[in-house]
Amino acid sequence: MPKALTQTMETVKQEKLFTVSNLVVMILTFLVFGLFLLVEVLAQTALNKLEKEATLTLFFKDEAAESAIMTLKSSIEKDTRVFSVNYVSKADAFEIFKNLNKDEPLLLESVTANVLPASLEIRAHKVGLLAALADEYKTTDGVEGVKFYKDIIDRFNFWRTVLSVGIGVILLILLFVSFSIVVSTIRTAISLRGSEFEILKLVGASDAYVKNPLLHQGMFYGGVSAFVSGAVYAVLIVAGHFSGVLGSLRLSEVVLASDIAVPTLLFPVIMLAFLTVCGLGLGYLSSLSAIKRYLNY
Amino acid sequence: MRSEKSMKKLPDETTEKPVEQVSSKTATRNKKPPILEFENVSKEYAGGFVCLDGINFTISKGEFVFVVGRSGAGKSTLVKLMIREQLPSAGKVLFDGVDIAEIPQHEIHLLRRRLGVVFQDFKVLPSKNVFANVAVALEVVDAPKSQIKDIVENVLNLVGIYDKAQSFPAELSGGELQRVAIARALAHEPDLFVADEPTGNIDPESSAQILDVFEKINSMGVAVLMATHDFRVVDRLKQRVVRLEKGKIVSDVAGGKY
Repeated sequence: MPKALTQTMETVKQEKLFTVSNLVVMILTFLVFGLFLLVEVLAQTALNKLEKEATLTLFFKDEAAESAIMTLKSSIEKDTRVFSVNYVSKADAFEIFKNLNKDEPLLLESVTANVLPASLEIRAHKVGLLAALADEYKTTDGVEGVKFYKDIIDRFNFWRTVLSVGIGVILLILLFVSFSIVVSTIRTAISLRGSEFEILKLVGASDAYVKNPLLHQGMFYGGVSAFVSGAVYAVLIVAGHFSGVLGSLRLSEVVLASDIAVPTLLFPVIMLAFLTVCGLGLGYLSSLSAIKRYLNY
Repeated sequence: MRSEKSMKKLPDETTEKPVEQVSSKTATRNKKPPILEFENVSKEYAGGFVCLDGINFTISKGEFVFVVGRSGAGKSTLVKLMIREQLPSAGKVLFDGVDIAEIPQHEIHLLRRRLGVVFQDFKVLPSKNVFANVAVALEVVDAPKSQIKDIVENVLNLVGIYDKAQSFPAELSGGELQRVAIARALAHEPDLFVADEPTGNIDPESSAQILDVFEKINSMGVAVLMATHDFRVVDRLKQRVVRLEKGKIVSDVAGGKY
């Protein structure tokens, strides 16, 4: 076992009560951190899905000729803002209607293909472009009306922001508490071992020799608690993927940022690694802060 | 055990330097190159209290020097300046030709590895046994375990407490505790051995034994500086005596008495 790890384990054994209480609080912090990441990633994934599926539908008047609609379709396809255009004829619309209402024969009897309008379903590269496209095409000859899901996405983004800010605030508070706890623990260690550090310096111990065990102690608290929290989420995500709520979503990939998607089962590994690195970083910075303040380095 | 870096920064004993005449009485003695030089050193604490004022003296390699004076004369401050626990307000403290105030913070340990320091209050670790207390000095330089064992056994033999190697500080007398501190200070083969009131907390018989150890260390070629107000110790050895009064050197006599 490396010397640094041996020293850290000795310290941890000597301060069992400190260690347990620190780990409990820090695990709680990183569970909230993990929740924050999970909400962000799932929200981003859902948003991407919504954006991809969000369409602007142009409904045509009964008198609009199919040739005119196809000409308009060709012209819309050349628009660089547009991802795809799909023509739904009256007959196609009736088929869709029949499929949707196959259990209601009375309703189907009262509707014919002529009642339903032909339409163009337009998907944009960005959902934000749909409003401008709707404004442009709603006055086109033959277009009776337009429909798109702007409100749904706006509302989704609003609640996503509320949730993120709420969890983010709690997370910041817990991170501060964890930081303070590590600082206090290291300060206590410095106070308890003050004469030992004095002797070590006297006999020629380098600065690193004295302060590294303290840095490792802080990193141990941060790293272990973050790893445990990450492992809890990893188990939950993997279990959830094969059953329950996540299973029913059938997510093959999750979106980390606007253009970065990873396979769903890779995400817990990334999250575990990310949380552990953050934990080690938090422990390191907290210990360093205590050392600079209380050990005069 | 010393790193190459330390050897570059702090020249070793093979580096010859011109002997500086710091005192008419000491000039004739300084045939060996100096290991420690105080050049017009003053130390003033906050509030304007002048603890040391214009101190000039040199200790040659292998020399034995007593620094004597009453409590408050500045002896301990002198020691703190040597080990760079404090910096002078004016003047220079040179260790083996290097101004120790110029040594960067992260290299001070290289200076301290060339010094052996013992204090009146022993400064031993109560939770470690005698062997471990001495081994600390070698562990900090990452010496291999086999080497640590050999060296610790040697120095414990040298100071006469080999049989107490497994004892804990609480089981030892004052004289034995001071020997532990001496053994620890000797473990990394210092060039200068500094003792600040080493007999202050021990009985006369133990003091005499400690003094025997110091003589033995000096006979091995290690320069020894002992700050004390114990006249029996000073009078017995008849070595060079530097007397401090109110922060100034008032006499510097070879083969002197208290």
